[in-house]
Amino acid sequence: MDLLCLGLNHRTAPVDVRERFAVSSTKLGAAANELIALAEASEGVVISTCNRTEFYLAAENARDSFEKIETRLAEKIQVDSSVAAHFYRKEKNEAAKHLCRVVSGLDSMMLGETEIFGQVKQAYQSALESGATGIVLNKVFQRAFGVGKKVRSETSIQEGSTSVGNVAVDLAEKIFGHLKNSEVMILGAGEMSRITAQSLVSRGARSIFVANRSFDRAQELATEMGGSAVRFDDWQSVLSRVDVVISSTGAPHAIVHRADVEKARRARKYRPLFFIDIAVPRDIDPAVGEIEEVYLYDIDTLEQLAEEARTRRQLQIEQCERIIEMELDKLNLPGT
Amino acid sequence: MGMDRWFLIAATLLAAVGGAWGMISVHQGKRSHWTVIWMIGVFLCQLGFLAVRGQMRAACPLMDRGEILSFLAWSLTLFYLLVGPAYRISLLGVFTAPVVVLFQAVALIPGTLVVNPPKQAGGNAWHETHSAMSVLAYGALALAAVAGVMFLVLDRQLKEHHLKSGLFRNLPPVRELLISLERLLWLGGILLTIGIMAGFLMPRTEAAWGHLIAAIAVWAGYALLLGVKQVRGLTGRRLSLSAVVLFVLSLVVFAFV
Repeated sequence: MDLLCLGLNHRTAPVDVRERFAVSSTKLGAAANELIALAEASEGVVISTCNRTEFYLAAENARDSFEKIETRLAEKIQVDSSVAAHFYRKEKNEAAKHLCRVVSGLDSMMLGETEIFGQVKQAYQSALESGATGIVLNKVFQRAFGVGKKVRSETSIQEGSTSVGNVAVDLAEKIFGHLKNSEVMILGAGEMSRITAQSLVSRGARSIFVANRSFDRAQELATEMGGSAVRFDDWQSVLSRVDVVISSTGAPHAIVHRADVEKARRARKYRPLFFIDIAVPRDIDPAVGEIEEVYLYDIDTLEQLAEEARTRRQLQIEQCERIIEMELDKLNLPGT
Repeated sequence: MGMDRWFLIAATLLAAVGGAWGMISVHQGKRSHWTVIWMIGVFLCQLGFLAVRGQMRAACPLMDRGEILSFLAWSLTLFYLLVGPAYRISLLGVFTAPVVVLFQAVALIPGTLVVNPPKQAGGNAWHETHSAMSVLAYGALALAAVAGVMFLVLDRQLKEHHLKSGLFRNLPPVRELLISLERLLWLGGILLTIGIMAGFLMPRTEAAWGHLIAAIAVWAGYALLLGVKQVRGLTGRRLSLSAVVLFVLSLVVFAFV
């Protein structure tokens, strides 16, 4: 019995191809059984995320099974045979190694991301509950999860935030701990502010105030976030109660000056205040950062921190690959 | 060498190893999970020391400088064990351990701790309450100063955008540090108030007045700090700096008075 993997991902296929093969998370178990029937294999697991769809199989004849799935899948999904060029095929040890890399986040668009671990686990669980797995895939997947955990715990592959939004959220947590007691104000209802504010809300930020030159747009974004809209001329009055200010207006000059913050200090009882300036040109006068309780981060600093984290992760790849090789050598998995 | 010294040496060594272990972990960017365990060991040895000295004295062992320093180190450890895990600021142990080592190492210098101390006859309950509460208060205030130092380190790193060190990753959030610092100041302030009130009720010699005035001055300093924080508010940096300066000043005052 051979272990096989047929898949496409963000590197091999554009989104219009990937979306044709995407399977919703509620249908992964049924898809695994369908896969077994299509490939005339013994066992199957289907992994489907926004960046990849992969089919893992345990079958008697690898070459035969690959041909069957490619042809029959193309027929089923009604795409022409040229789609085969987007697929990668891996057999035996290569397939096991690939699964370990996927689980460890080494094959992800954002190197080292952790979400993929849960997604693969969910895919395996669905296949297991549908009776689509057996001795080969059960062992391979369970061992891959073990290897993934080892890679993540013994290296720094998942350390640090690699996007500007996540760096900002991590900093907010470093300043305020749990964000459930924190209030956030957004100056300028741009896309970056929205993404960053959403990250803060997803980590528990208590309330959001949106101030924008266009009040309608402020109301729209406030409704989307479950917050309140503030007239742009009134943002100073809200400053006394918020903990985090995210600024991303299109103004050609600074809109938050030292004097604005100085005025609010007394009312704030000198509590820490975190300014995230993601606008270019900058919205917040750098002199604001000189105020004792203010922590000011602009887009360049946040981007630099994200870049440093990405570089640190890149430097970990070799070590991660070594762990995977060593573990696979030790495991002697079936089908490899 | 008596059993009391052995206990104190063991406590000092455990604190030194715990502190060094914690610092190495932090430097490597790992959480120092074992610090709490080491500090529990330190606490038990300190209890052993105080029990032996208490039996020798037949009173609260706060009669010589060595005992006062050891009692202070014990109360510092006690408050760390009470406060550290409760507010998720276990790294406080890594910062506390060196202070404990310093106090106990000074106590171990020959001449600081009286060898074979005599039994105390005719002890006074107010006197013992005054001594015990005052030293306990200093434990809380010392820990507040330690939390203050931690805040100052974190504040500087955040202000200057130096966020790569293992220490930065392991330091607790700014807000939690400030909450712990303020609570420790309140706890220390309340204990100090009880200690001073007991000081007024205990029999006093002429020489004790200087000590009592110094204690009141220290109390007034902390009361002013807490009052300003409560009414007007204070930046984290000023609160931390004040907690550190007041603690160091009060130690210096009592060393001379």
